[in-house]
Order: sequence, then structure tokens, then C-alpha cells
Amino acid sequence: MGKKKRGHPDIEELLARPWCYYCERDFEDLKLLISHQKAKHFKCERCGKRLNTAGGLSVHMNQVHKETLQCVENALPNRSGLDVEIFGMEGVPEDILQQHNQRIIQNFYTAQAERQKVTGNPPRGQAGGHGPAKKIKYETPEEIKKRLAEHRAKLAAQKAAAANGAPPPTAPADGSAPAQGAPPFLPPQPGYPYPAAGVAPVPGVPVVPPYGAAPGFPAPAGAFPPGPSPPPGATAPFALPARPPSGAAGAPPYFYGAGAPPPGYPGGAPPAVPASDAAATGDSIDQLIRMAEAGIKPAAAPAKNGAEEAAGAGEKKKKGARMVYADTDVSPEEKMAMLPRYRWVESAAA
Amino acid sequence: MAPATQFEVAQPPQDAISALAFGPGTSRRLLVSSWDKNVYLYEVSSGAEEATLVRTFEHRAPVLDVCFGASPDEAYTAGIDHQVKKIDLATGDQTVLSKHSEAVRCVVFSAQHSILISASWDCTLHVHNISHPSQPPLAIPLPGKPHALAASPTKLVVAMTARLVHIYDLPALAAAVDPSSPSRQPPQPWQQRESSLKFLTRAVACMPNDAGYATSSIEGRVAVEWFDDSPESQARKYAFKCHRQAAPEDEGGGDIVYPVNSLAFHPVHGTFASGGGDGTVALWDAEAKRRMRQYQRFPESVAALGFSGDGRLLAIGVCPGFETGMEDYSGEGRTKLFIRELGESEAKGKGSK
Repeated sequence: MGKKKRGHPDIEELLARPWCYYCERDFEDLKLLISHQKAKHFKCERCGKRLNTAGGLSVHMNQVHKETLQCVENALPNRSGLDVEIFGMEGVPEDILQQHNQRIIQNFYTAQAERQKVTGNPPRGQAGGHGPAKKIKYETPEEIKKRLAEHRAKLAAQKAAAANGAPPPTAPADGSAPAQGAPPFLPPQPGYPYPAAGVAPVPGVPVVPPYGAAPGFPAPAGAFPPGPSPPPGATAPFALPARPPSGAAGAPPYFYGAGAPPPGYPGGAPPAVPASDAAATGDSIDQLIRMAEAGIKPAAAPAKNGAEEAAGAGEKKKKGARMVYADTDVSPEEKMAMLPRYRWVESAAA
Repeated sequence: MAPATQFEVAQPPQDAISALAFGPGTSRRLLVSSWDKNVYLYEVSSGAEEATLVRTFEHRAPVLDVCFGASPDEAYTAGIDHQVKKIDLATGDQTVLSKHSEAVRCVVFSAQHSILISASWDCTLHVHNISHPSQPPLAIPLPGKPHALAASPTKLVVAMTARLVHIYDLPALAAAVDPSSPSRQPPQPWQQRESSLKFLTRAVACMPNDAGYATSSIEGRVAVEWFDDSPESQARKYAFKCHRQAAPEDEGGGDIVYPVNSLAFHPVHGTFASGGGDGTVALWDAEAKRRMRQYQRFPESVAALGFSGDGRLLAIGVCPGFETGMEDYSGEGRTKLFIRELGESEAKGKGSK
């Protein structure tokens, strides 16, 4: 939406931007929009001629190529019809226009709320100090102590359960347990390769991205290992200060309990604490409390540990990318070939 | 809108597609290898918008790659059961050409030099002289596990783990397996390169004009490189991001990055198609560095792509993609095969206009 270019424009500016009926993209000015429409939606597939309108293209196709235009290319599924005659912003049906404005307004306010939540700044023109998001951050020492006690009790229970050889109990969903952003028994995750790759670029291989793509990699999403998405409701019991609803919420930097830290955890010193070590647990709990008192989100903690993350952990958090397949040594085929379903075992006779 | 049409093949493989290949020249035959241990032979009828299943060839284990030989009646397969096989498509006869000590990942046939190259996870290449089938294949040791293999008229590109890329000279390979050759020494790679991409190589495809090749990685990126190792040519190489999707805001935004599973160059226009885990196929103009087209999303990940010899057809194998953390996988019932008949100028780049 081009918002990033000039900080955060206000709502009037956003609503004034011309936008394309066919793909909902918005543009700096009308001229750009029209050239976009000619290039993306009104271009003849056969000869490349750019027409001004869908109707024009239809006539062109009919007369020059003896073909019938069925739909507008590159359009959103429900906008590809030829029945509306669009030129720039002209011809957009009133209801669609309303819908678009609604969407812009809604996006604007959610984005604004999000920013306020992140920065803690009051909305423009208001006296600071008591935004709605700020209130959530407040936690009395009593509350923290209570949570600490509960957490210790839980750890003890887990330890006992582990000692008995029983599977450790799953996290209670009553909202009282701290640091439950992720299941405590997360299976080890393969290391998240971004930071390493970003720090050590390939020597002597100039990679020239032709489409204006950044030559490096986008900053990691707070450099979290890409954990599985949290189970439903898992973020709700996270009783720490409010954090933006991001994917990172599913993988808090602290793994309590018996869960092993993910190998290759980018933070350098993985703060995961073995359940058997009560003293160490206390330390990191204390740290948690200090952080809570200082109003620091736990997400910021790993930045202290890993120098390379410091840059990425803050405002660029949103930019993180999640790889659908992230193993850099073993191909998907090799993994599939190891599954019982596909595995080949040389028979004794052969 | 134009005459470009796309249809789904009625009898797709039962399980995930590993590779597909059209017959040489104007052949309308299409071979598809599958994890269901079969190789499928289809005949695409021109104009009628359908592909009929001619027959299937059962193997002992899942088949990872398939290619045609010199004629449309000859095919070669790479099996997880370590075997490289020749299949007579007319009679259905299967002959084992060589045995690796691990699963065979790729097979490539070079029509110009009548040699077949197989690459296996036992870190070797086997070079077979097709004219002398009785002669044992020549084994070439590799420094890493091969993941992709592609041949241009004179070069063979092998992409391996640890981002290694070796380029072999095909005439040298052919000479090494010539029965009159005295040495039978495995030739050294013509060039040894490091991949321009920072992540595991997923696919390689060579330009039909022998100028260069494209590689893709598991991290939504494609690189285009040139064989010529002069500084000017090497300065022309580039890489770009693709097959990514913006994640919804409530999941933290950013991009979901899909592997680029397949690359295929158009035999006539020299443009290329990429197929990714996001289920899309895009056509790229390597010269003009432009995306020409992106087709409507397919229901599952795109596993394999192939242009017909005349460039009029594009076959697209679609099945669920294997993702990190999967403990089970099955492409059963979700594997589909699409064939797209391209419009005359659909795959034609701006540069060549």
C-alpha cells in the first residue's frame, strides 16, 4: 500500500489514493493507475496492444484476432467481469467504492492500534499515559509473584511427572500459567538459518536481484526459530505485557520445562532451563519479572544475547519470512524416501 | 481468453509426482514418474483437450525421475531401489542398466551424444553409453549428494548438497565411455561453482541455446547463470525472489516462502517456467529479466513441469508439498496432472520480439 514510504499517512491521504477496481491496488496518482490498468488488465494477450478499457480490449480482440474476451486478466476473482466499464477511477460501482473505503479505514485503524500497542505512544493529539493498550501492560508485583508461585508449582509437577516416567502434563488452559505462548514440550526444531546466512554472505557471488528486491535477506522475524503455529488459544494465557498478535507469539524465546531447546537456536545462549535445575529456573524467572516490571516484552530478550539479532528484533519483526521447507542439507525427496510408506529395503534374496 | 487452454488429465498418478517429461520432437507422449512406484505414459491428443493413459510401468519402489531416450519408444527411470532402468514403451520390457548403492535421484539423456547420465544419493554419477548397453557404466564420484541434474546440448549441470554445482562437458563424458577410448578415466568437471543461492538447490534447468542455466532453491528464489566464465558473462548472472506469499497480518505478516520445485525452459523461445510450493507456475523472460505471466494457483504444490518438444504444451504435476515438520506424507487422492496448451506468443519473451 505504499504506506512505508512516508511514515504513516493519515486516513484522508489513504482514502484519496486512486486504486484499481480490478485488483484493489492503490497508486500515488491517477496517471500511474491508468498505466497500471493498461498494462495489467487491458493488454491484449495476443499482440500486446494496450487498450484503455475492457470494452476496448473486447472490441480489439473481436476485430483483430476474431476472439471473444471472456474476462479481465489479473483481476480479483469477483472483479473480472466485463459488464462494468472502468477507466482509472471512473465507472467503479458505488457499493464497491464504499467497500473499498471501509476496508481502508479498517486497515488504517487496526494498523494504528497495532503501532500504539507496539510503541506505547498515545494516538496523535491525545495526552499520553492511558491508552487502552497501555493498561494491559500494567502488572502489580503481587500478580507477578502469584504467577511465579504457580509457575514453580507447575515445574515441580512436571519434574515429578518426568521422574515417574509418565508423559508430562500439558499446559493448563486456564490462563494462569506464565510463558505459555508455545507448548512447553516443543519438539526440537531445525535451526533457523537466516541469521547465519545474513551474517556471512556468499563471497564473490554478486546476486543482482532484478526486480528491486533487496540484495540481502530480509531481517529475521525477531530471529525466532519457526515454531509450529501455536495451538488455538495458546496465546491467550500469555499473561505478560500485551504484544502484537504476531506469528512470533507462537515461539517465545523461553522454553520452560522438559522441552529441549531447538538446536541452532540463534540466540547464542539458549535460555531454556532444564526442569531439574530449580535454581537456574529461579534466575530466569527473576529475569522475567524484571523484564515485566521494566515493561520490556520478552520478545526483546534474545536481542541481548545475539548481537546480530539486535538489528532485526525490534521494528523489523514484521518482515520475517517463514520457510515452508527449511532443511538446508536434506532434500524433501530424501525425507520422503525415509518414510515407511516409500522406503525401499533391499530384500535378502536380491 | 486466447486459445490458451488448460485441462486436467483424467487418470493422474495415485501418489505424488516426482518428475514428468514429454517425448522428443513433436511427440505428444508424456511420461510421469510417481511415488506410487509406477511410471505413467500418456498420449496427449492435439485439439481434443484430453490425455489418455496409454499404459503404466510398475517398478519395485518409488520412481524419482524419468526421461525419454532417443526415440519416443524408449525411456529411462531412476528408482529408490537403486536401479537405473531402460523401458521399452512399446513392449513394456524393463532392463536394468546399472545399480547404484543408494537411491537414484535423477536421470538425464543427452540425445546429441547418446549417453545417459544417472545421479544417485550414493554421491556418484553413472555415465552409460547407450549404443553399447553391455558395457558397464562409468562411475564419477561427486563431492556431495546430487539433488538436480540437467543437460544442455554440450553441458551437464549437477547440483549437490552444500550448494555445490559442477558442470561437466558432455563431449568429454561421451568420449570417456567410448569403447575405443583407452582410458575410461572419469573426466574432471569442466567448471566447479558454488550456487548463487544461499539455500539447498531444488531444481536445475539448462537453456536450450546452450548459453546458461537456471537453478532454484528451497527458499523461493531462482538464479540465472551463464556457462561462459568470462567476467562479463558472470557479471550478467542474477537471482530473484519468487513463489512467496504474504502471510496474513494476524499471523505476524512477513512472507511465507515456498520452495521452487521445478524449472523448465521453453525449447523454442528460451523463456522458462518455474513451479513452486505455493501452487503457482510463472513464466519468466530470462533475457529481459521480467515475469511474463503467472498462472492461476493450483490446488496443491507444483512438483514438476515440462514443455513438449515443440513448446506448444506445458505439463504441470501437482501434489502436496513436503514441508518441514511433516512426519507423514501422502499424495494420495491429491495428486493431479494438468496440461496447458500455450497460445502462440504466450511464452514468447519481449526480448526476442
